[in-house]
Amino acid sequence: MSRKTVLAASLGIVLAYCVVALLAPVIAPYDPHAITGAPLSPPDREHPLGTNDLAQDIFSRLIWGTRATLLLGFLGATIAVVLGTAVGIISGYYGGTVDEAVMRVIDVAMTIPIFPLLLILTMFFRPGIYVTAVLMGLLGSFQGVRVIRSQVLSLAVADFVTGTRALGARDGYIMGRHILPNILPLAGVKFVFSAQHFMLIGIGLGFLGIGDPSVVDWGQMINRASQNGAIILGLWWWLIPPGLAVTLISLALAWLGYACEDEINPRLRLLRV
Amino acid sequence: MVMNKTLLEVRGLMVGFPTPDGLVRASDTVDLEIYSRETLGLIGETGSGKTVLGMAILRLLQPNTIIKGEIRYRGRDLLSLPEDEMRKIRGREIGVVLQNSGTSLNPVYTVGDQIAEAVTLHQGLKGTEAWHRAVELLDAVRIADPARMAGEYPHQFSGGMRERALIAMALACNPSFLIADEPTKGLDAVTKREVIDLFGEVNRDRSVLFITHDIEAARNLATRVAVMYAGEIVELGGTGEVLSDPAHPYTQGLLASLPERGMRPIPGSAPSLITPPPGCRFSPRCGCAGEGCRTEHPGLVEVRPGHYARCMLYDRG
Repeated sequence: MSRKTVLAASLGIVLAYCVVALLAPVIAPYDPHAITGAPLSPPDREHPLGTNDLAQDIFSRLIWGTRATLLLGFLGATIAVVLGTAVGIISGYYGGTVDEAVMRVIDVAMTIPIFPLLLILTMFFRPGIYVTAVLMGLLGSFQGVRVIRSQVLSLAVADFVTGTRALGARDGYIMGRHILPNILPLAGVKFVFSAQHFMLIGIGLGFLGIGDPSVVDWGQMINRASQNGAIILGLWWWLIPPGLAVTLISLALAWLGYACEDEINPRLRLLRV
Repeated sequence: MVMNKTLLEVRGLMVGFPTPDGLVRASDTVDLEIYSRETLGLIGETGSGKTVLGMAILRLLQPNTIIKGEIRYRGRDLLSLPEDEMRKIRGREIGVVLQNSGTSLNPVYTVGDQIAEAVTLHQGLKGTEAWHRAVELLDAVRIADPARMAGEYPHQFSGGMRERALIAMALACNPSFLIADEPTKGLDAVTKREVIDLFGEVNRDRSVLFITHDIEAARNLATRVAVMYAGEIVELGGTGEVLSDPAHPYTQGLLASLPERGMRPIPGSAPSLITPPPGCRFSPRCGCAGEGCRTEHPGLVEVRPGHYARCMLYDRG
């Protein structure tokens, strides 16, 4: 497959997920929490993916679950990238003591594994989808700071930056107008990979039972199915659909990330066969 | 020529870069005046401290650089000015054409945008007004079809055109002093000629510090010439006098190394700027160096009216 095909296909899948999330009330035939018939019934015309033990329509829950996953991924990634970019630019541009202080804090922060910390923090605060997204964004920004900073280090001494200073521009102006546009492609790639990472973490939290109890999410669906013996009882329609949904969005985002990376750094094409 | 009043005065300027091996003194006790409407050619080999001197005037060096001495512009000491005041001087009072025209424009903006930016920063012009001014400026530096070229990106410009665009940017606010750092570097003979001609117009109503290692360019443009060697000014005087009858052996050597003068390079290479030779810095390479040259550091003395040289041949106590 050519690079452009991969880019187009993965972008298409991601957009399709977004459309589904936005149009969930229209697409889903039932209220995801409503009792809609007999429990644990296999797929039929009324219930395209059958029902679970509470007689909720699985197809509707799958559609509504898209919202939680995308929200966690994209909100978390937005926070992580905005924060990482801002701190990375300031740290790399000013250098010296500022940079030293920021980098040492990041060094320490990066030794803490994000998932267990997130587990503890989400339990400490009340589990809620926005709380989780913000926490993921904050904890996930550290690595972004490093990546962006390393790029800004070379931009900060670029001739056109010195040239703009020589015209009498302020530091803030230089960072916003001259450095930021040059690192946007990198920040974009970082955003896609962060989103993928955070979606998986979100699913993991849901699976471990500390997802937001008020929203439908795929992690909680998988958790409920496996806890109640979906595998042993052969209730595939209960377990497989949310699993596939996660796999597909995760793959699409990974492809999208790699395609974007190739786009901004053609040398990678040679390395990745 | 009539010497009118001093515009810029450099006194005892030392610029040092701290490195693990010691302090690199890229410029060492430099004294220099630049008068109103004169063009001072600053020549010397790569690494002699020419660029550092230019950048130090505008305080564009890295923050960890050690700068001592005085740089007075219209009587104000630039080195002790708060950053806010300095910013008002950069671009508006003192313009600069940086070395490396290839990388001195931001690749993500059109050339017109970047020149308009220079106008916007100090003159408060915005949007279309600033853009029109940018087109005028491109026209003034003789870029053909300026209205169309303003909308092109830097990579679509040739080397000569980029150099002109940078000159246009530096002139955007009509500064009274322009620092041009090797503006003819990397240009072919014809383009170089054109850029030199352009400077011949630019320097009519302002002072220019023309940093170059192109001696012919200096001869064409400069009213006075300063020769730098290992961070020091070793000779200073009227262009005609310095370049046709040089007093310092280093300047003599520089001229002898020109292709049309037989291309005899000066033996050896420039000394370390961390531990320069104790006496005259040029003595290890100098054909006429005596014992005194290796131990005593000569001062800059007047050899003829307005013509100075730093050499034991003239510095007799």
